Amino acid sequence: MSIPTLQGLQTALSGLVAEQTALDTTGNNIANANTEGYSRETALLEPNPPLPIAAISTLTGEGAQLGAGVSVANITRIRNVYLDVQYRTQNSALSNAGTQAEELQQAQSAFDEPSSTSLATQMSAFWTAWSNLAQAPTSEGAKEAVVATGEQLARTFNQLSGELSSLSVQTGEQYAALAGAGGEVERYAEQIAQLNGQIKLAEEAGQQSNEMLDQRDVLLDKLSALANVTVSEQPDHTDTVTFGDAAKPLVEGTTVTWPQTLTEAAGGQLGALLSLNGENGALGSLRSGLDGVAEALATSVNEHLEGLEPPAKAFFSGTTAATLAVAVTPAEVRASGGAAPGGNAVALAIAALRGGTAEQDYATLVEKLGSDVQGARDEEANLQSTVTAINDQRQSVSGVSLDEEMTNLITFQRGYQASARTMSAMDEMLETLIEHTGTVGL
Amino acid sequence: MSADRITPAMVTSSTVADLSASLSSLERSTEELSSGRTILEPSDNPYGASRVIDLQSELDGLSAYESDAQSGVAWEDTASSAMSSINSSLQRVRELVLQAANGTNDQTDLNTIATQIEELTEGIKQDANAQYAGEYIFSGTLTTTAPYQQGEDDEYQGNAETISRAVGPGATVTISTNLSTLLGNGVASEDGKLLDTLRTLVTNLRSGTPEGIAAVGTTDLQSLDANLATLSELQSAAGSATDQLQAALARNEDLQTSIAEGLSSTEDTNIAATSIAYANEQAAYSAALRAGATIVQESLINFLQ
Repeated sequence: MSIPTLQGLQTALSGLVAEQTALDTTGNNIANANTEGYSRETALLEPNPPLPIAAISTLTGEGAQLGAGVSVANITRIRNVYLDVQYRTQNSALSNAGTQAEELQQAQSAFDEPSSTSLATQMSAFWTAWSNLAQAPTSEGAKEAVVATGEQLARTFNQLSGELSSLSVQTGEQYAALAGAGGEVERYAEQIAQLNGQIKLAEEAGQQSNEMLDQRDVLLDKLSALANVTVSEQPDHTDTVTFGDAAKPLVEGTTVTWPQTLTEAAGGQLGALLSLNGENGALGSLRSGLDGVAEALATSVNEHLEGLEPPAKAFFSGTTAATLAVAVTPAEVRASGGAAPGGNAVALAIAALRGGTAEQDYATLVEKLGSDVQGARDEEANLQSTVTAINDQRQSVSGVSLDEEMTNLITFQRGYQASARTMSAMDEMLETLIEHTGTVGL
Repeated sequence: MSADRITPAMVTSSTVADLSASLSSLERSTEELSSGRTILEPSDNPYGASRVIDLQSELDGLSAYESDAQSGVAWEDTASSAMSSINSSLQRVRELVLQAANGTNDQTDLNTIATQIEELTEGIKQDANAQYAGEYIFSGTLTTTAPYQQGEDDEYQGNAETISRAVGPGATVTISTNLSTLLGNGVASEDGKLLDTLRTLVTNLRSGTPEGIAAVGTTDLQSLDANLATLSELQSAAGSATDQLQAALARNEDLQTSIAEGLSSTEDTNIAATSIAYANEQAAYSAALRAGATIVQESLINFLQ
């Protein structure tokens, strides 16, 4: 069997088509150099099945195989799925720590320590007012100052407690907005389910779905910030997504199961919001800690006013930070244990409460909050650098390098030119055959 | 990072991250310098923040103790000067008693002496009604009531309660002096105290009887001397209270200095160190800006024809 006359043209054509496809792919990479989640693509070129030529050798009588050009086997996206898994795991942890840090930071701002208007300063001013009253037990001004600083202190307790409560409420609202019906979780899940369907159809039809795969990966990345995400790819190219510690998969094929119940163990932003507001959550323990300080304050002050003759009214009413209030008028403030106006035993005893349980508990509470914020921030910073490193690795694998693409551009352009030249050569050869053969002697 | 391929997006993102890290440390130093404090919120230094609360309260407490002790000293000064005035009145009474007892006086002279003693007695009662900041200092805790009324009634109107000043944690000094142990409740009570003695003296001087005149130089004089001894005890007790207050003040001052130092070293910015750090950060930031501005611009495209 001899070589088909026009085989050379076909081979050159296959080269032109393949180089053009590779050029187009490069062009697409350059166009998407800054697209979020885009994975660079390469055209996978494959030699065509060779053409067997029988008995070409007169010596051995054996045949040979003649290459029949090139074809594009596939346009693949370059991506490392293990890096995706790592990224999502760390991203969940980062978002969890970040949310904790942010909410605790807000609580810390509410405390406003150390400052000249903080609760600690006001408590100190309150003790000083009692100490001044001990110096001048009959002074109306000193009694008014005791009541005024007491009221200011109680108000600061009320305000702080209120701010912590509304922070709790906001945290709950934020969770509801993200995880509720029509929230971010559901929207992402629906988009993923839709892409699952489209990818399945495309793959069944033997079409490529690189762009849709990229989109789905971007959505999974975003979902991983909200809670832990586990993705398992099914044989039909759909992704089954489990979300947080939800009982059923969030997305399975084209089905979305949401809303579902999550707990603190869900990880990510949602897990953090749940844990902050949970039973042993940071916000709850801050509130109960503050209540403890308010109670210690009220009890220790009121204690010194009990069992006096004539009986004295309790100075503070309420035993929680939210309800603490001054219960007496300046005229009812008692500096002495008895009826004598000049006695100062009670005022001295109350002024001596400075540095006592209430103040120590408060300082401990502030220290605990400070180290919680510090810890959450440190964790956030650590995870941030881990996530950045993983993202860099992903970029290193999947990102578009313009230098590389420009080099490819030249390579494929030259390849295209060379294929075209081959075609010209073939054309000239055929011209010789067609135009100049058999014309001898004409 | 050992990444094999480097893409412009990686360079951009790491440049941005470095710039923002550099800027945030610059901002931190600026804040520390402009506020003068190194602990701006508890998370900057949790232990330090709780220590600042403790130290600040301790410092406020010390200044409260200081003002307490100072007012105690002023109270004792008032008490001491009242008691010195009583003392000099009593010395004058004693001179008059000795003069009356020398046997050379006729009844007119004795009456004159009696009148002088009566005036001195009123003066002593006035001294006993001394006030500090609007409060009677010798009435026990009944500080709005004068301890003695002017005129005939010599009954003590105050009580025996004491008044203290706090001069330190758990340390109090009693500043009230119970002057009724000296002045007593007058002649009706026959307690032998000062007012009883003085009234008896006057009665004896005016009696015109030999027994009366004799009593002036003997029992009355003895009784007067006993009262003088009581007064000097009270005076020395007041003096020692003043000493205690002064000692507490001196100690307080030392403590305030050392606690203020502790507070400052915990919460105040170390200006020198922070300024140097600030300068370094500024240099690093502008270097990062300069590098960032040029590095991402170049690519192969710039060199292709």
